[in-house]
Amino acid sequence: MSKVHVKICVGTTCFVMGASELQDLEKFLPDDLKDKVEISGAACLGLCRDENYGEAPFVTVDGEPLSNATVNAIVDKIREKL
Amino acid sequence: MNDNNTFIEIEYCQNVKNGEEACGDDYKTVELEDEERLITVLSDGLGSGIKASLLAHMTTSMAMNFVSKNMEIVKSSEIIMDSLPVCDERKISYATFTVVDVIHQNRVRIIEMDNPHFIHIRNGRDIAHENTVLASSNWPDRKLVVTDLRVKPEDRIVFFTDGVSQAGLGHRPYKFGWRREGCLEFIQECLHNHPEMSSRDLSRAIVSRARSINPGNRCIDDITCGVIYFRKPRRLRLLTGPPFKEMHDHDFAAKLVDFTGKTIICGGTTAQIISRELGREIKTNLFMKNKGLPPTSDIEGVDLVTEGILTLTEAARCLENDVPATEMAPAIRTMLNLLIESDIIEFIVGTKVNEAHQDPSLPVDLEIRRNIIKKLVHFLEKKYRKKTTIEYI
Ligand code: FES
Repeated sequence: MSKVHVKICVGTTCFVMGASELQDLEKFLPDDLKDKVEISGAACLGLCRDENYGEAPFVTVDGEPLSNATVNAIVDKIREKL
Repeated sequence: MNDNNTFIEIEYCQNVKNGEEACGDDYKTVELEDEERLITVLSDGLGSGIKASLLAHMTTSMAMNFVSKNMEIVKSSEIIMDSLPVCDERKISYATFTVVDVIHQNRVRIIEMDNPHFIHIRNGRDIAHENTVLASSNWPDRKLVVTDLRVKPEDRIVFFTDGVSQAGLGHRPYKFGWRREGCLEFIQECLHNHPEMSSRDLSRAIVSRARSINPGNRCIDDITCGVIYFRKPRRLRLLTGPPFKEMHDHDFAAKLVDFTGKTIICGGTTAQIISRELGREIKTNLFMKNKGLPPTSDIEGVDLVTEGILTLTEAARCLENDVPATEMAPAIRTMLNLLIESDIIEFIVGTKVNEAHQDPSLPVDLEIRRNIIKKLVHFLEKKYRKKTTIEYI
C-alpha cells in the first residue's frame, strides 16, 4: 500500500506561525497511522505568498494544501486520504 | 586588496594558565590602510595573572604605537623597559615581545625581544634568515633581534610565547620542553596533511598540542600562538531574497553555477527559485534540531542552505556578541565557519518585497533583510578584516 505523503513547510512564515511544533509530527501520530505516512519538509511551499490559501503554517497532504495546520488537522486529512 | 592580491590572515589562539583569570600574554593587531601596513604584536608579561597581564598589555600598546609611528627601535624598546612597573617579587620589570610588521603584503619586518624565534614556513620548509642583533646600553642583557624578509603567496609566519616552546618541560619525552623544533615538526605535519589549513585552525592546533604535552593536559603557563597566512583569497557568495523581477531569476541562479568558491543560500523562497532554475532538488532536514531556528536544507553543489531572516538575524547577533561556537545553533555554526574561513564575501541580495512579509502580523520586511546584511558586513569587516561586496538584484 502506498503511503500518504505529508510535506511540512518550515519556511520563515510557517515556522514563525507554528510549524516548529509540527516538526515532531511523527511522534504525535496515532499508532495505527505510524507506518502509513511519509513525512518530509519544505523550505517554503510558496503558499504564503498566495492569497488563495488561508494562513500559515502550511502543509500538503498528498499534494493537497492545508492551511492553519495543526497536528489534529493533519491527522484528519491523512485519514481522509486513506 | 584587489582580487589577485594576497589575503593576509592573522589569527591567534590563547589558553590562560590554569587557576588564573587574567592572561599574562597579550596581542594586538592594527591595520594602517593608507600605508598598506599590518602590524601585530605579541607580548608575554613576567609571571602570570593580573601583574603579568598588565606588563603584557603595556608592552603591546607601547610597541604598537612606536612601530606604527616608525620610531627608532632601540630607543623604543628602552622606553618600554624603562616604563614597565618593577615586579615586587623579582625586582625586575619584564615583558617579552614579538612585532610583525607587514608592508605592502610582501615585505615583513620582525622585531623580537626574548620571545621564542618565529618560524617562517614555505612549502613545508623552515626558512632561515639573517638578522641583526641590537642592544641598548641601558639594558645590555636585553637583545633585540630584527629580521627583514620577503614572503610569497602561501607562506606562513608562526610565532608564540614560551608557553608553547616550553610545554612539557621537565617531563618525558620533553625534558627540555617541546621547543621550537618540536613545534616546527608539528606544523610541518599539519600542513602536510592539510595544505590549506587556515591561521585560525593552525594556531588552535598548536596551542592544543602544546597543552596536551603538559602533564594532565593543563596550562602550566599562559599559551599563545599567532599565525599569519599569506594566502590566495578564498571567495564565498551568499544569496538571499528573491530578485526584484522574476525575469532575473535565471541570472540570479547562474551566480551559483559559474562560481568556484563556497556558496550559501539563505531563504526558503530563494532556495526554491534556485532549485527550479537549476533543476536541482531541495531536501529539507525536517527533523534537525536547530536551537529554535528553522532547519537547513540541501541542494546539490551548495555548501549551505538555510532559512532567511531568522537565521541571518541570529548570525549577526552571534558575530556581534562573539558567542562561543558551542552555544550556537548548528546552522549558525556552519554559516559563521564558512564566512570566517573566507576572505572575500559577496552578498547578492534579492529585493523583491515578499508579499507574505507584508502581513502586519509579522514584524518582518525587506528593510530588515537589508539591515541585517549591512550589520553582518560591518562585523565581518571590522572584526575579521573580510573584504565584502553587496549587490542588490
Ligand atoms: S513559508 Fe511556508 S509556504 Fe512559504
